[in-house]
Order: sequence, then C-alpha cells, then structure tokens
Amino acid sequence: MHDQNMLDVKNIYKNFGSLKVLKGVSTTVDKGEVISVIGASGSGKSTLLRCMNLLEEPTFGEVWIEGKLMTPVDPYLHYDVIRVSKTYKNLVAGGMEDTEAIMKIKAEDLLIEKHSAEGSEYKAMMDKIYRENHIDTNLGRRKMSMVFQQFNLFNNLNVLDNIMLAPVETAKYNKVKDLKAEKEKIEAQAMSLLKRIGLEDKAKVFPSKLSGGQKQRIAIVRSLAMNPDVMLFDEPTSALDPEMIGEVLDLMKELASAGMTMVVVTHEMGFAREVSNRVLFMDEGYIKEDGAPEKVFDDPQDPRLQDFLSKVL
Amino acid sequence: MTLGSILHDMWDIFVKFYIGEGLLVTGVGYTLLLSAIAVFFGTILGSLLAVGKMSRIKPLQYIITAFVEIMRGTPALLQLYIAYFIVPMMLTNLNPTPIACVAIGLTLNSAAYVSEIIRSGINAVDKGQTEAARALGLTSRTTMTKVVMPQAVRNILPALGNEFITIIKETSLASNFFVGELMTTYAIIKGVTFNTVPTLIDIGIIYFVMTFTLSKLIGVAERRMKAGA
Repeated sequence: MHDQNMLDVKNIYKNFGSLKVLKGVSTTVDKGEVISVIGASGSGKSTLLRCMNLLEEPTFGEVWIEGKLMTPVDPYLHYDVIRVSKTYKNLVAGGMEDTEAIMKIKAEDLLIEKHSAEGSEYKAMMDKIYRENHIDTNLGRRKMSMVFQQFNLFNNLNVLDNIMLAPVETAKYNKVKDLKAEKEKIEAQAMSLLKRIGLEDKAKVFPSKLSGGQKQRIAIVRSLAMNPDVMLFDEPTSALDPEMIGEVLDLMKELASAGMTMVVVTHEMGFAREVSNRVLFMDEGYIKEDGAPEKVFDDPQDPRLQDFLSKVL
Repeated sequence: MTLGSILHDMWDIFVKFYIGEGLLVTGVGYTLLLSAIAVFFGTILGSLLAVGKMSRIKPLQYIITAFVEIMRGTPALLQLYIAYFIVPMMLTNLNPTPIACVAIGLTLNSAAYVSEIIRSGINAVDKGQTEAARALGLTSRTTMTKVVMPQAVRNILPALGNEFITIIKETSLASNFFVGELMTTYAIIKGVTFNTVPTLIDIGIIYFVMTFTLSKLIGVAERRMKAGA
C-alpha cells in the first residue's frame, strides 16, 4: 500500500510548547540522493532532520523509512481512517460529497477534538494501519545514522570502541550465534574504516585527545559502521575551526560520490551547490523552495530565499 | 581553667577512657558501622529512588519527590526519633534494637540525598551522548549501561564520598538514643568525670581524623579516576 521511497516525511508538524517550529513539511528522499537543507537559524531545518529519526517526535504527521512507519498513525493522512470516523459519516449523511467531507475534516482538524467519540471502527482502522506498517523505532534508526554538530563521540570509550559499540550491541540484540567471530568481523571493519580516514593510529585514543576535525570524521565512520541506508548530517562543520572544515567536507564528498544517500543540514553553500543534487530551503517551518542546486542558487523564486542568499553568498 | 590544664585533661581522658576503657575502638567502631550501613543501603535505596524518579510513571515520580523533599526538609534528629519509635511498632516480631532503628532512620535519610546525587550525576552527562547512542539504534537500556552510567559514575563517586563524610558526622545524633557510637562516649565520660570541654575536644579530634582521612582518600580516588579517563 506504500511506495518504497527511502525516506518519506509526510506533513510533519512540530510544536515545542506554544512554539510552532515545523508547520506541515513533506518531502521524500530517494536512494542515492544527496539533499542539502539550507535556511536561517530557527527556520526548522535541524528539527526536520531530528524528526526524521525521531530524536524529536513529530506533533503530527508521519515518517516512513523504506516503506515502514516510524511514527504513530496520523489519521488525516489516511482517507480509509477518515471515512470510518463518525464525523465523516455525519457529514456525508448530511448530504456532503466524499471529497468535500474529507477536505473539511482535514482543514478544520475535526478528528482530534472528537478522538474518543470516533468509535471502535475508527480505532480498529488506526490499529490495522499501524500493525501492518510500523517498524520499531530502534530498528528504523539503524537504517539511518546521524552525524551531529557537536560530534557526540562517547567520552567513556576509545575511538575503536566508539565505532564498535553500536554494531556489537546490534549483533547482541539480533542474538548472533558466534558473537566472538562477529566481534572480530566488526573490529576488522572498524579498523578499515579508520584506515580509510587515515586515523588507524588513533584506535586506542580517547575522544578528549582528538581535534574537532578528527572527532567529526570518526563520528562519520561510526555512523558508517552501522551500514546505514541514509545518513543524516546536522550541521556537521558548524562547530569546527575553519582549517578543519575541509577534511570533513572531503570525507562527505567521498561518501556522496560513493552513492550514499545523504540529508545534510548545512551552512556550507559551496558544499550544497557542488555536491548535493537537491536543495531544500526552509523558512519559518515550511519548505519554501525545493529543487536542483542550480535552480535554487541561480534562479531563486521565493523572496525570502533571495534575501537569504544575498546574505550568505 | 588554663590551656595547659585543658590539654592535660584531654590527654588524661584520652588515655584513661578511650584507650584504657576501649571507648575509642567501640565508639569509632559503632560510628563507622552505622555510617557504612547508612551509606551502603542508602546507596542501594537511593539508586532505586533515582531510577523511579527518572521513570515515566508519574505517580511514582510524585511519591519519590515528596519523600526526598520531606527527608531533606526536616531535621535528621527528628527523623531518627520517629524511626526510633515507629520501627519497633512496625516490626514487633523482630524486636529491633535501638541501633537497628537508628540505622534504618539514617539509611532513609541518606537514601534521599544519594538519590539526588545519582540523579544529578546522570543529568550532568551531556544530552548529546544519549542522542548519539539512540540515533545509532541502541535501546534506552544499552544507552544507559554502556554510555551514560559509566560517565555518570565519575560525577557520582566523589559526591558519594562526601555523603559518607556527612553521614559520619550525622551519626552523632544517634547518641540521643545511647547506641554506643562516638558521641555517646561523651555522656559516659561526663557522667564519671564531670569534665566536659576536654572530652568534647577529644571527640572532635577523633571525628576530624576520621573525616579528614576519608576526604584525602576520596581525593586520591578522584585523581586516579581522572587519570584513567
């Protein structure tokens, strides 16, 4: 019943108390796409990224990873659900057209207020959709690892253990038979990842002894060790000294050219233009512009985007 | 009363009662025993309270918060009095001795403080650590045991050592129930010699030696832990 995009974000709203950060954001991420999300601070771009792997739970809306539902079911996104609600039945009984009734319910947010009164058929439909589609949050997250602005290497573990922790624990969750052999395999992979970024001599070093650029490159290979299908980058170079930005961006370019699917929240306009094949411009909780980098950068339509670009370029 | 005579009396009392009558060994022994019981069981109970307070079960949170606030907001002496009278009423079959009642009172008091130490030790671990672990698909339990707790322990252990020192001093309240810890020796010696000040200074010195030694030991442990990071 669901098309197989890699990542599917549907009508996400996110409120922090009375602060509305995302106001209905939808987008899809296809396999192999490198998407840059740009926008001013407070535009909601980091929140959108954090909603994708449920570090923030969306207030409304759904997130799908490879055809599996990560969030609870949002009734407004399923006409099947609306059609079995009492609100809908009352409207239709009152002579309203199917589409008109659905539009009215969606527009006026009629299901939420009457949630408990919508009846057992409604609940059964919600449960059915959830049961058929949902994926455990932790399983979903293992398909899309995240790289943080502040690196967030585990301070209590050395570099090698930082990289190995999640794969080893995942092997334990999966009740792998020969854990010892699996660990050796994971260690070999971790060492080859370290070699790839030229830091194999740092394997036994603790994060506090590393430079920012080294930390971030290790955080990136820590994510890679989970063999993710999508990688989310939350302003990966914003906390770095200028001379270290290059080494991190180079690694990300390398990943992009190797075909990794990436969503990158960034202030690096050079990276967004050169490396990504789609750019999203976010402003005030909406995606205001969505297109190829040439289109977004050279022919911006939205006045806020024009204003933003004139300031950052 | 001159300084010389005080020093002289202090020495006399120390030799006669603390060494001769063995009050040093029994007094310090009971004080350390009571403190160790209170800190040990207080830490176990305090950990449970901390876990309960950080759980998502609201009623549990409220009950624990109320308990902690009451224990921190009322005098320890009052708590010991209540324990002294209530525990025998509740455990009539076991016929608890006064020192057991006092130990229970001190344990509950210590648990309240320890639970706050543990909670703040865990909260002091950077949120990014948890987020990174969860984003890699680790469960909340693994995140806690492999990432958060090992870092929290470094915040918790020194504070727990300080709690031990506080409890050593607080056991002096148990002298109200004549359980034989160090402060009780004051009443014993005063009853025989009517010589208050030198006795009190003797006791003060013994307390100070205990707490000072302990705080130095904690300092060493703390430095070792930092070196291992």
